[in-house]
Amino acid sequence: MSESDVVTPGTRIGSVDTHISGRGTYTRDGRICASVVGRVVTKDVPNQDKKIIEVESKQETTVPQIGSIVLATVVKTTTQFAKVDITCVEGKALETTFMGMIRQQDVRATEIDKVVIYESFRPGDVVRAVVISLGDSKSYYLSTARNELGVVFGTSMAGQTLVPVSWKEMECPKTHLRELRKVAKTI
Amino acid sequence: MSKIEFISPEGLRVDGRRPQEVRKINYRLNLFSRADGSAYYEQGNTRVLAAVYGPRQVTRRGASKHDRAIINCEYSMATFSTGERRKSAKRDRRSTEISVVIRQTFESVILTHLYPRTQIDIFMQVLQADGGTRCACINAASLALIDAGIPMRDFVVSCAAGMIDGVALTDLNYIEDSAGGPDLPLAILPKQNKICLLQMDSKLTIEQYEEVMQMAVEGCKQIHAVLDAKLKDVTDQLVNKRKTLL
Repeated sequence: MSESDVVTPGTRIGSVDTHISGRGTYTRDGRICASVVGRVVTKDVPNQDKKIIEVESKQETTVPQIGSIVLATVVKTTTQFAKVDITCVEGKALETTFMGMIRQQDVRATEIDKVVIYESFRPGDVVRAVVISLGDSKSYYLSTARNELGVVFGTSMAGQTLVPVSWKEMECPKTHLRELRKVAKTI
Repeated sequence: MSKIEFISPEGLRVDGRRPQEVRKINYRLNLFSRADGSAYYEQGNTRVLAAVYGPRQVTRRGASKHDRAIINCEYSMATFSTGERRKSAKRDRRSTEISVVIRQTFESVILTHLYPRTQIDIFMQVLQADGGTRCACINAASLALIDAGIPMRDFVVSCAAGMIDGVALTDLNYIEDSAGGPDLPLAILPKQNKICLLQMDSKLTIEQYEEVMQMAVEGCKQIHAVLDAKLKDVTDQLVNKRKTLL
């Protein structure tokens, strides 16, 4: 199978002896087959003689998976958890949102029993978080217990965009009022 | 009683086709902007629409599966699709049965394990019914799923076959369908030579069954050739226009 050929699902494009199955492909009986319509692309892997074979397709649907970094909007806060809408997975915007939950013990890494949800997130904040488990039947469990995770965008009481001042405070540029948040460290 | 002549002395059918010939196929992809994938499919005078949504968050609570996506199918017929206008064709026994059959077909083909805790919805509507609507719906759904970019094991194609006056015929139209002979809808995975749907309600001898089955497989292969060629053509054009598919 040569490069840049358009293939349809089920077409055999290689063998596991010569290639590694990548996106848009699956393996069956030692053969690599296309699972979507698109162009065949091979990529080199450092320190490995096998190449990755992929099918580059028009659109790819992404869903949150364990370990993926997501962006989510806070919808509701309680004393136990903050309910969020996951809108973006690994830098890719989703067509529809998925429900997520940041529990009290997952907000930060230290002093987890002293966390107050309302002093960490407010409804409307945009939070960068990591998916820690697929959670219960309704929502994914997210965590912000890392320096680079937390609120990345929030609005103050006066309606201005908050400016981070420390890892737990953000300031309103208009009123200079400081509000409490679990702030994400800018990378 | 004058009986309709289903096979002329020259061996041609009511609409002029030969026994192993499928009707003219035409389709279009990406019709709707709200759906993730959609297709309009016509096979002779049978015309269907299919729209695919997802993978998206499961709407019915408790239905989600932790290790795979669930698939919802809904088959319906437009009130104006048949000769006599029907009041409401929604949720009757027949469409429920067809919805289930189509769902089972696609459950075996879509790589559902890639999208845990999500659902994929497939909606199909028959705009004009002229026999073989369930097969046309499977083909349309298959194209809509491809348009949505949902990974599948193979390109499912479907075709029905039957037997009238001892002659096996592929892709029956409405007149042939109402002749009362056996009807055998079949869906196959053409690249793997596997069957993913096979139905038959009537009784046939083994020899006749083999003949009808062979006809259905031939029909599926013809349809696959047409769909596959056009799909490659369309994708090639897209690639050339945009230089990339992404």
